[in-house]
Amino acid sequence: MRLFFATTAMGIVLAGSAFAAELTVGAANVTGYVDPGRDHSNVGSQFYYNTFDTLIEKNYDKLQGEFRPGLATEWKLVEPKVMELKLRQGVTFHNGEAMTADDVVFSLNRMYQATFPPYQVRARDRLENFEKAEKVDDYTIRIHVKREEPLWETLLNLQQVMIIPEDYTKGLTGDPKVAENDDFEAFSLKPVGTGPYAITQLVPGETLVWERYDGFWGEKAPLDKITVKHMPETASRITALKTGEADLITNIAPDQLALIEADPALKAVGSATALFHVMIMNVNHPVLKDPRIRQAMSLAIDRDTLNEALWLGKAIVPASHTMEEFGPLYMPELKTFEYNPEKAKQLLQEAGYKGEEIVYTTFPTYYTNGLLAAQAIVEMWKEVGINGKVNVVDKWTGGDPDMMARNWSNPMYFADPFGSFGVMWAPKGPSESEGRFNTDEAYAEIWERFRFSKDIEVRKAAYAELMERIRQDPPMLPLYRPYESWAMNKNINWAPKPGHIPYVLDFRAGSISFASN
Amino acid sequence: MAEATFHGRTARPAGIAALRRIWREANGLQRAALCIGLALLAVAAFAPLIAPHEPTAQSLIARLRPPIGFERFKEGYLLGTDELGRDVLSRSLHGLQLTLVLAMLGASIGLVLGGGLGLLSGIAGGTVDDIVMAAVDAQIAIPFTLIALLVLAIFGSSIEVMVLVLGLYGWEQYARIVRAEVRRLMQMPFVEAARAAGATGSRIAFRHVLPNTVSPLVVQFTLAISNIVLLESTLSFLGIGVQPPTATLGSMVGIGRDYMPTAPWIVVVPAAMILLVTFTVQILGDWLRDRTDVRLIDR
Amino acid sequence: MLRHVLRTLTKMAVTLFAIVTLVFFATRLSGDPIDFVVGQGITQEDRELLTRYYGLDASIWEQYWRFLGSFVDGQFGLSFVERRPVGEIVAERIWPSLQLLLAGISFTVLVSVPLGILAAIHRRTWIGSAIMTIAFVGYAVPNFVLAVFMVLIFAFTLNWLPVVGNSTPWHFIMPTIALSGTLIAALTRFTRNAMLDVLSQDFMRTARAKGLPEHTVILKHGFSNASITVLSVLGLQIAGLAAAGNVVVEAIFAWPGIGDLLVNAAILRDFPVLQFAVLAVAFAVIVVNGAIDIAYGYADPRIRLGSA
Repeated sequence: MRLFFATTAMGIVLAGSAFAAELTVGAANVTGYVDPGRDHSNVGSQFYYNTFDTLIEKNYDKLQGEFRPGLATEWKLVEPKVMELKLRQGVTFHNGEAMTADDVVFSLNRMYQATFPPYQVRARDRLENFEKAEKVDDYTIRIHVKREEPLWETLLNLQQVMIIPEDYTKGLTGDPKVAENDDFEAFSLKPVGTGPYAITQLVPGETLVWERYDGFWGEKAPLDKITVKHMPETASRITALKTGEADLITNIAPDQLALIEADPALKAVGSATALFHVMIMNVNHPVLKDPRIRQAMSLAIDRDTLNEALWLGKAIVPASHTMEEFGPLYMPELKTFEYNPEKAKQLLQEAGYKGEEIVYTTFPTYYTNGLLAAQAIVEMWKEVGINGKVNVVDKWTGGDPDMMARNWSNPMYFADPFGSFGVMWAPKGPSESEGRFNTDEAYAEIWERFRFSKDIEVRKAAYAELMERIRQDPPMLPLYRPYESWAMNKNINWAPKPGHIPYVLDFRAGSISFASN
Repeated sequence: MAEATFHGRTARPAGIAALRRIWREANGLQRAALCIGLALLAVAAFAPLIAPHEPTAQSLIARLRPPIGFERFKEGYLLGTDELGRDVLSRSLHGLQLTLVLAMLGASIGLVLGGGLGLLSGIAGGTVDDIVMAAVDAQIAIPFTLIALLVLAIFGSSIEVMVLVLGLYGWEQYARIVRAEVRRLMQMPFVEAARAAGATGSRIAFRHVLPNTVSPLVVQFTLAISNIVLLESTLSFLGIGVQPPTATLGSMVGIGRDYMPTAPWIVVVPAAMILLVTFTVQILGDWLRDRTDVRLIDR
Repeated sequence: MLRHVLRTLTKMAVTLFAIVTLVFFATRLSGDPIDFVVGQGITQEDRELLTRYYGLDASIWEQYWRFLGSFVDGQFGLSFVERRPVGEIVAERIWPSLQLLLAGISFTVLVSVPLGILAAIHRRTWIGSAIMTIAFVGYAVPNFVLAVFMVLIFAFTLNWLPVVGNSTPWHFIMPTIALSGTLIAALTRFTRNAMLDVLSQDFMRTARAKGLPEHTVILKHGFSNASITVLSVLGLQIAGLAAAGNVVVEAIFAWPGIGDLLVNAAILRDFPVLQFAVLAVAFAVIVVNGAIDIAYGYADPRIRLGSA
């Protein structure tokens, strides 16, 4: 009885045939605005890559960075702290305007010299080292950094420095010659980029529609139209896929995979997302001041069992805060975190732990399996004698001095330890600033070497030192890289590409196709 | 004292004979409801003794096992296990207990709060009456789910806050009933007589008015219990009620709904219990109303 | 009469103002929207920057004053999350909610009025008790349970009905039923009781004595009299029940209505949206209640003459 929906299901036809190729995506979350600059959320990251381009592209089929020309065709350092980039000619924005150096300089400086507060916030944690961009001629620009930058390509490949049109943006509100805050606010509801799909409809939080942009500079998009609809309930999403209301759905928890596999018309693909679910511990909480208590909290957690039970063994349990995507800086040999209940018991005894209640706070639904993991962790604590309690709140409590332990995530914002561990745990970064993590001069000195050395080996050694500091006085424990799945009709060939940051819905040429059946 | 006879009601001879008569007068549905009601109360009261397992005891290797009679059934877990390998039966029993306790506490608070305000409003009249009735109107105007949403967002959800929220539920109903009754009674000769005899406002309230509002309030109280069970379930379903690992029947349905297609027993057992509770209470409440023979606005 | 109308209108205005104020202060206590606007994990410096940007650094009285001011320009403030006028956001959501509400109430009336009349006529037979038993069961089933089971059976297993959104008439079936379940149970009982009251009145006996056919007696004389009660109940009780039910039903079926908006705004601490959406719902309920109050005034001479 798929009868009622035969018409919607018919929407998908072979690419290249005379019919329109359309796709309906059922997403657990649809973004409330589309502005790659101010955003680094998991919800938003789904939507940027189809719509916008960066100056430097990457081969996303590969796990590790293999950079290639994007809106810039070539780039070279002209001075130790100045990069010159040649821009691609003949690129147009979705509104028809040609892209020139002015647009690129505007886009970069909206972050590098941000005046709009949401941009300032996003720029500070990752683009602090970038001073300014300037125009040389219509198709040449220069970027100045404050200190020599070892991560040029990586940081020019960021979602935050995707290119947007200058005149269009400035003209949205007020004075068309000036970039006011309201212009950026307006842009986020009427986004325009250079990507293969243009956003033709945005009902914030509910619906987003992409249509193929025929003026795209690269290989034309394979789909005519993609409609992303908000379907918050897991059961509804799966049902929608079965009834043909959706062709592809996001965020399927491992427990639901069996449902997809049981239906011969459907399939699921997934990957261990480049993101850690972490447990953070407040090093300044009176009960947790002794690092041995926090070590015990960490040693008591059997992450492999969590993985087996909650993720069907498909998640990745890390030995350190490290990911394969980091390339040469991937250091699985570091043994920063382990499971050792005996040692946990011993440390608790040495620290003189007297059964004070330790509260583990969790969001109710924000992280897949977050609430289940919280309950399981507290039970594991009980095994070693920690008197734990689960506290469910839908507020962020990371800056609350009473917070003892809670769940959080450390996404890989870009493929470098700096883009994952670094964003969250830098000296004076968010964690320290929220008062639950302390750094000292020694930490800052190691950090300097890790962040700015141009010698990979020096960076590696420094990172190992940082991890050793984390091991001895732990402010957190990465639990696992969660396994995320997408489900779709069998005739769709789509899978998340390993080179992307988490959750990107990539429907560009070469990323999606339809099997003939 | 002469005024004692003014209350009107003569005490019924209590005891087995009366109970027998009540039973005889009941119809089949009402008898069944009475039995189920008593059974539910007993089960809830002795939940910790009956439940075969600790409600929070997990077994991560035995998650989502089905009830007896199905493949992969695990010995000792009669109604299967949930998403953390906890015993569904034990959790449902404890959930039933908590749900009923919350409902009764909530209904009692509502009764005291609403009844008190209604009494005050009815006896004092004037500005006090205007303020209380404006509050009643405001309460009616905002869907209660929304008020609960706000309160729970502000204070976070704990059992204490939950009791408070549920206690706020329906106070305006009690207030209206008591106020109406008070205003009616104030015109009655026996109250006027008491007044003439120099009785104070509070004396009139406690000696004359309150006893006469007992029966409509009892009926309202019963109905409120089933409404509060529904409300608590709804809030827990939306994820803003009592928080895990503590379970109420509603939260079990709410959290289990993602597992509905794969492990329906997680949802079916507590959902059936909710239904049983509210159904029983409805029947009993209706019966009570018929017996007390007071005409109320039907709800 | 005019005095009664004026008095009712003043009461409505005062109640609304009280709700606005209450909701405003309640939302400010409920958490920091900055966490939800930019995600967790920013430095204190940045937090202060954004707090200023979103105007949350002003004193609560100033914010309150600004909030009241936002009613004047008709935009009702800007959403923290979506950065567009709240009036626009809420307006988008009203129509779908109203559609669902109308569908639910029509369905409720169509089902429960005949059932209620039947139950009253046949109150001494099995038909009457069967209807009332069903009504009791109906009232005992929370709408989320009904919704969840319907989704499992009719959508997930049978693939008969769609579950997400409101794009086709098929999308209305399950949400309407889920919303109506409790309402039908309640209204059937109201109708039955109202009919019973009317049936025992003298004029019914008179009508019968005139030799009119039974169905004419019941419908023309019986129900037309009972319908006044039924209608007022529909307005007062059902509106409240439906508004509450909408929140749950819209959440489950991803219905793009006010209920869905409210829950999300509460979770994201999108104060401007939350405030105004609550206000919009309260306004609707108050207007309905006020209208019924005034209508009663016309019907009841004691009120009309201003003695109440």
